Amino acid sequence: MSSNYAVELKNVTAGYMVARGFRSILKQFVVVLRGVNLRVSHGERVAIIGESGSGKTTLLRVILGLLRPKTGKVIVLGKDIYRVKGRARAGVLKRIGYVPQDPYRSLNPVLKVKDIIKEPLEAYGYSSELIEDRIREVVRLVGLPLNVLDETPEELSGGMRQRVLIARALVAYPKMLLLDEPTSALDVSVQAQIISLLNSIYESFNITMITVTHDLAVAQYLADRVVILKDGQVVEEGEFESILKEPKSEYTRSLVMSYQLLSNMSRSESEESRL
Amino acid sequence: MEPSRLGKHVLLRASKKLRFKIGLVIVVVMVAMAILAPYIAPYPDEGLGRVPLDGEGRRLLPPSPQHLLGTDTLGRDLLSRIMFAARAALMQSTIVIALSLVIGLVVGSFAAYFKGFVESVLTYLTELFMAVPSLVIALFIRLATNTPGYHVVIVSLTLTWWAWYARISYVYAKGIVELDYVVLAKLAGLHPLKIVGRHILRVIFQPMAVQAISDLGSALLEASAINFMGLGLPRDYPDWGVILFEGLRELSVIAFIRAPWLVVFPGLFILITTLGFALLADPLREELDPRLSRRWRLWF
Amino acid sequence: MVLAVKAEGVKIGYIDEEDRVQWAVRGVDLEIGSGDSFCIVGESGSGKTTLANAIAGILPPHAIIQGRLIIDGKLVLDNGRLDFNGVRGRIVSYIPQNPGTSLNPFMTVEEHFYYILRDTKSLSRREARRIALESLMKVGLDQSVLEMYPHELSGGMQQRVTIAIAIASRPKIIIADEPTSSVDANLRAGILKLLNRLNRELGLTLIMVTHDIYSAAAVCNKVAVMLVGKIVEMGEVKALLYDPRHPYTRILLNCVPVLGVKKPLKPLVGEPPRLYSDIKHCPFLDRCPFAVETCKVEPLLEPVDEKRDHVVRCWRFKELKSVEL
Repeated sequence: MSSNYAVELKNVTAGYMVARGFRSILKQFVVVLRGVNLRVSHGERVAIIGESGSGKTTLLRVILGLLRPKTGKVIVLGKDIYRVKGRARAGVLKRIGYVPQDPYRSLNPVLKVKDIIKEPLEAYGYSSELIEDRIREVVRLVGLPLNVLDETPEELSGGMRQRVLIARALVAYPKMLLLDEPTSALDVSVQAQIISLLNSIYESFNITMITVTHDLAVAQYLADRVVILKDGQVVEEGEFESILKEPKSEYTRSLVMSYQLLSNMSRSESEESRL
Repeated sequence: MEPSRLGKHVLLRASKKLRFKIGLVIVVVMVAMAILAPYIAPYPDEGLGRVPLDGEGRRLLPPSPQHLLGTDTLGRDLLSRIMFAARAALMQSTIVIALSLVIGLVVGSFAAYFKGFVESVLTYLTELFMAVPSLVIALFIRLATNTPGYHVVIVSLTLTWWAWYARISYVYAKGIVELDYVVLAKLAGLHPLKIVGRHILRVIFQPMAVQAISDLGSALLEASAINFMGLGLPRDYPDWGVILFEGLRELSVIAFIRAPWLVVFPGLFILITTLGFALLADPLREELDPRLSRRWRLWF
Repeated sequence: MVLAVKAEGVKIGYIDEEDRVQWAVRGVDLEIGSGDSFCIVGESGSGKTTLANAIAGILPPHAIIQGRLIIDGKLVLDNGRLDFNGVRGRIVSYIPQNPGTSLNPFMTVEEHFYYILRDTKSLSRREARRIALESLMKVGLDQSVLEMYPHELSGGMQQRVTIAIAIASRPKIIIADEPTSSVDANLRAGILKLLNRLNRELGLTLIMVTHDIYSAAAVCNKVAVMLVGKIVEMGEVKALLYDPRHPYTRILLNCVPVLGVKKPLKPLVGEPPRLYSDIKHCPFLDRCPFAVETCKVEPLLEPVDEKRDHVVRCWRFKELKSVEL
């Protein structure tokens, strides 16, 4: 029962058990995602827009197989990852290139960069020569100098660490990329670099890309279709352009407006002369 | 820029500090003493515990040119005994800490990584053993096995120390397990043991090792206490705690007045060795942690 | 007219582990008029936060300081000697970046006001409560928040509370450190509008530190762009937005994504540097697409035209005016 989609979520409801009461005896289930339906086709670029508390982190964890949903199905690369087990499941997860959120905390500080990037390849039985070649190839792909391979993450700047994470995500020829706030921790001038890197990767490989972010302006560059998440529910989805021009939900409208408000303010402010 | 946390850089920075140098000197001297005792002790036989033929006449002599630190209750040269005792001291503390560290690291990291039932059981065991006092265990072991020896000290101390390391490892590991590089490793399909080894143990090993160095001194103190109570190593054995034991057993409290050298010198060596380890570990710990400590000193 | 803030050759640095001084701010001269809304824009390593901390009087004790800083006519920094008595917390107030971690989780909002006002103005509990209510009203919150603990408030409300606390002591100058970076997009405009209002209606001098040049444009009338510890361009916000002269400013404006405008992003190469011991060349040398030999010597701050209110630190600002990025 294969699906034509890279990722398919059917009516997913998920949450966490939270301890309440004295000595955490009582546990309560807190719902974070409610009846989420999502479909991402192969080769598509989708952005999941959510503010803090929208459930976007939980959504990511569900897709990565880290959180079993209470109800619903999660089909990633054709397999229901909470039904299949063992090899089949591991096989799917290995094909996902995940780029986590914080480049300052997502890298093992005592490992060298080459060992970090090498890790996804270890599960396959490649020869060390092939591995070396592939690592070098992918490092060049993300625009890093080769000498970075012998350094530890602590010696690298934020932008470089982000590139290492992207390199690692790409090294095992993933079928799709899952990015969690790829630019939020970076300086403005570096954000643009990472955005253009991701764009060029998409242009070269046409790989499915799912970006989770709160920044609509950044998402504009990284996605063609957008899914708006609020309080654990999908409130709107569609092509980026049409969402901007004709937002259907109230929330989307106010979100888009708040960005435009800012640019309006800057324009009107600078038009008034103060001194 | 964040200072490097790599082992060799930490070591390099720490080695510049005075405390480190003093600590290193002390430890090196003690180790040298332990290794070279048979060659440099003035009365090596007596050092090993043998009573000399003219022992009776030489009992409890104060320090003199022939016996730099005096003699003990059976006429043996104290300096030689103390020199040979360095061996026992280092062996006991090293074995205890090494064993406890290994057990503790494994228990703590497994509990944090595997969660669920494993976590509950291991943390429960940890808390249980943390409450046990080593001296009581030593007493039991001594009575149970009915023979004195290294095993009393090592078993009783390890049984109580491992939990301490397990607790620290657990706390550290719990912080790491939620981090993204562990998530990434899981996604990559890495074997759980490999994940624990590479991403948890390797990362927490540094701070744990520093803690262990400092604990070598504490272990020595506790081991000496057990020997001092007569529960550990047997009489006549070269060990600082045993020397104290004999002295106070023979003379009780009067030893302080009658033969103070017998009480002061072994104690002094225990103290200095413990201090040496602590001085060695302190700068390492500071260099490993964020540079807050340095700033505060500049302020005051 | 007394200037709110006047900085003369201010240099601020820290001693690193090899006992060398690393300068965060390498020589800043600026004047902020009373009632201005002034933005300091820069990326990490630019020194903007350090400069703002210096004005707020909250530099760490081990900082090395040179130059002079005069706040509301009072000399607070004079080549290493600090005297913020009566200024810190009273004339200058500070709104920290992350309200979540700046509020004491064990105190209610009212208690926050009380302790600060008791210590700075020796007010009683009742008087403090009255002022608290006033301040809260000014930021658009009502008295129901007084009894709440920080964790019971949303992020946006927390930010407003910190702003209210900052204005409670009736300061003349408020410094806002990245006021919108920890706030969701839909609340961002609200906070910026609030700051705008405080500046306009209450006549407070506003100094805002941010990395987002468009946020700056929305609120401020004057902007200074900092790079590696020095100001590289400064002037009225209109001038910088529509006639930026420094390559850094131009590229910065260009590579910030703006919703609705899908311009091609022309990213900068390299990364903003971290602390420097001191550099003699233009701070933008290694990343500037227009760098030439002369840039190896650090340019001075020059006015763009006779009006002297728009200054630029670039040897080539005249000739690059017509050059496309």
